[in-house]
Amino acid sequence: MSILQIHAQPSRTTVWILSWFLFAIGVVSYFWVSRGRHIENPDDRVMPTLRQMSQAFADATLKPAEDDEVAANADRESLVTKVRQSMLWKDTLATGRRFLISMALLFPAVLLGLHMGMFPYVGSFFLRFVLFFDKIVALSLLPILFIAFGIDELAKVMLIVVGVAPTIILDAFNLTRGVPKEQIVKGFTLGAGDFSITYRIVLKQIWPRVLNSIRLNLKAVMLFLFAGEMIASQDGLAYRIALLRRHMGMDTIIPYVLWVALLLFLIDFGMRTMNRKLHPWFQEA
Amino acid sequence: MRKLLLSLSAFFLLSGSLGAAGSAPSFTLGWSVYVGWDPYQYMAKSGLLKKWADKYGVAIKVQRFDYAPSLDAFVAKNIDACAMTNMEALDMPAAAGVDTTSIIVGDYSNGNDAVLVRHNLTLAQIPGKRVLLVEKTVSQYLFERGMALNNLTGELKRVKYVNTSDSDLAGAFLSDQSQDVAVTWKPLVSQILKGKGITKIFDSSKIPGEILDLMVVRTEVLNRPDGSGQRFAKAIAGAWYELTTQMAKPGPDGDKVLSAIAEVSEDTLASYKEQLATTHLFYTAPSALEMTKSDQLKKTMELVRQFCFTHGLLGDKTTSPDDVAIRFPDGAIQGKKERVRLRFDASYMELAAAGKL
Repeated sequence: MSILQIHAQPSRTTVWILSWFLFAIGVVSYFWVSRGRHIENPDDRVMPTLRQMSQAFADATLKPAEDDEVAANADRESLVTKVRQSMLWKDTLATGRRFLISMALLFPAVLLGLHMGMFPYVGSFFLRFVLFFDKIVALSLLPILFIAFGIDELAKVMLIVVGVAPTIILDAFNLTRGVPKEQIVKGFTLGAGDFSITYRIVLKQIWPRVLNSIRLNLKAVMLFLFAGEMIASQDGLAYRIALLRRHMGMDTIIPYVLWVALLLFLIDFGMRTMNRKLHPWFQEA
Repeated sequence: MRKLLLSLSAFFLLSGSLGAAGSAPSFTLGWSVYVGWDPYQYMAKSGLLKKWADKYGVAIKVQRFDYAPSLDAFVAKNIDACAMTNMEALDMPAAAGVDTTSIIVGDYSNGNDAVLVRHNLTLAQIPGKRVLLVEKTVSQYLFERGMALNNLTGELKRVKYVNTSDSDLAGAFLSDQSQDVAVTWKPLVSQILKGKGITKIFDSSKIPGEILDLMVVRTEVLNRPDGSGQRFAKAIAGAWYELTTQMAKPGPDGDKVLSAIAEVSEDTLASYKEQLATTHLFYTAPSALEMTKSDQLKKTMELVRQFCFTHGLLGDKTTSPDDVAIRFPDGAIQGKKERVRLRFDASYMELAAAGKL
């Protein structure tokens, strides 16, 4: 049995073991090193133990955010109220709102790319500029963004849009260009107009791929969002991480990072499922 | 698979050897750009540090960091000595269980840190407004001390802090006219004050001696049985006071050294001198000793540790500021005796003062 064989057929158990192997190595080596560090220094904060992390995570989810007045009857409140007053919940809401707004702002980018691909005049007007803009590292232009958008919510959302929109525009543009000319000609012979061809033939076709491309850019969106929150903010997941880093609160940071990973995974999963449900005819290449 | 195992084992070997590097008397000192710490870079570049290191039979590497990463590296025990403020020495390494000793009290901020406002606001008008600052640092300490000195402590709850990264703070405050208050340090302060309609309403010269800049060494390094750690500390102290003597020389001699220091930290002589003017540098060992042994240091550290504790900087599990205790040169201890984590050691400054280095 050779491992490097294109036609190899590992059994289900082998696949299961192999796919979890790196996770196991990662987790075991983390706790191994962490244990060593804690034996040497019981107050170590760089690599917290599982107990410390779960304690910190419980605090983050069940205790009210630090700067709020603690209600007198805090103990008697239901679990739901507790969670809704918690640090984690508030941070997630703040970050989630910014995330949703910027995602919503990315959809016009798809339409722009579509029109650029369909109408030569629009294309020649935008294409060169967007190509150039796509190569600009948005983060290095922060001071200018501050002048244009202040340092509040708008600036954070715009940072994401400026950073990610060009990629989406160009992607939509290329996908539009990729639709076979014959279909468009056929549309015309069947009596469709310019706009019905654009929206009802081309947009419909590229939609699942565009969704995919947005999905693949989720991480970029999150990176820009985190960068924005770390630069200046009063709430949000990255704000908390930036603050906790100041005194090595790794026991909270690590669960926070895992929480963000879980959220991203769920959004990604949701978008994939939605794509499959909406476009059952679409087969990913 | 083999590769993975190899790299993993390499990783473990590496982390193991880092811990066991004690046999070679080679040490790393970390510093970040700040008026009181820039001399360390010049000290290394000019060969002054090497002269002293050779005298004491150790090798010293000097490495520049950004401030926060330098603290991380010190806590992670990747470097042996590090330049930091008294507050960070307490809430970063000491609170994380890394026993830390301050060997040199280099200077205190005498106007370097400042509260800046638009529209000539007063401290009393700030509650309800937004304040741009790097939260939970000396900036916040300075601001809250200012409020306390003006009997406005009760109003602090209504202040809205906006945690703003120091690399973007000046740009953000200058370009966004709707922001009224910023708290930061030099050279950012000088940069922001050049903006129109911005005034300084409070600075660290009103709380002299409270924001101290130290050179700290891990206590376990100092206590190495072969004595190399102590030789390392002696070499640093020797080089430091030789350099500060040169810096203090009046006229062109001193200027020559100062411009060389400014140069290695990418600054100009004029700008460096402007920063020095608001820094109370202890040019001589006796002056540093006086501060280190004074009762004022104890009062300062009491304020600082209460601030750190009430702002959760000593860790969530810490139930009292006494859990991270501080030991002073005269043996006095703030906090629990068995939990001393930060020590002010005057002996190296004493040796320097007595000319015995």
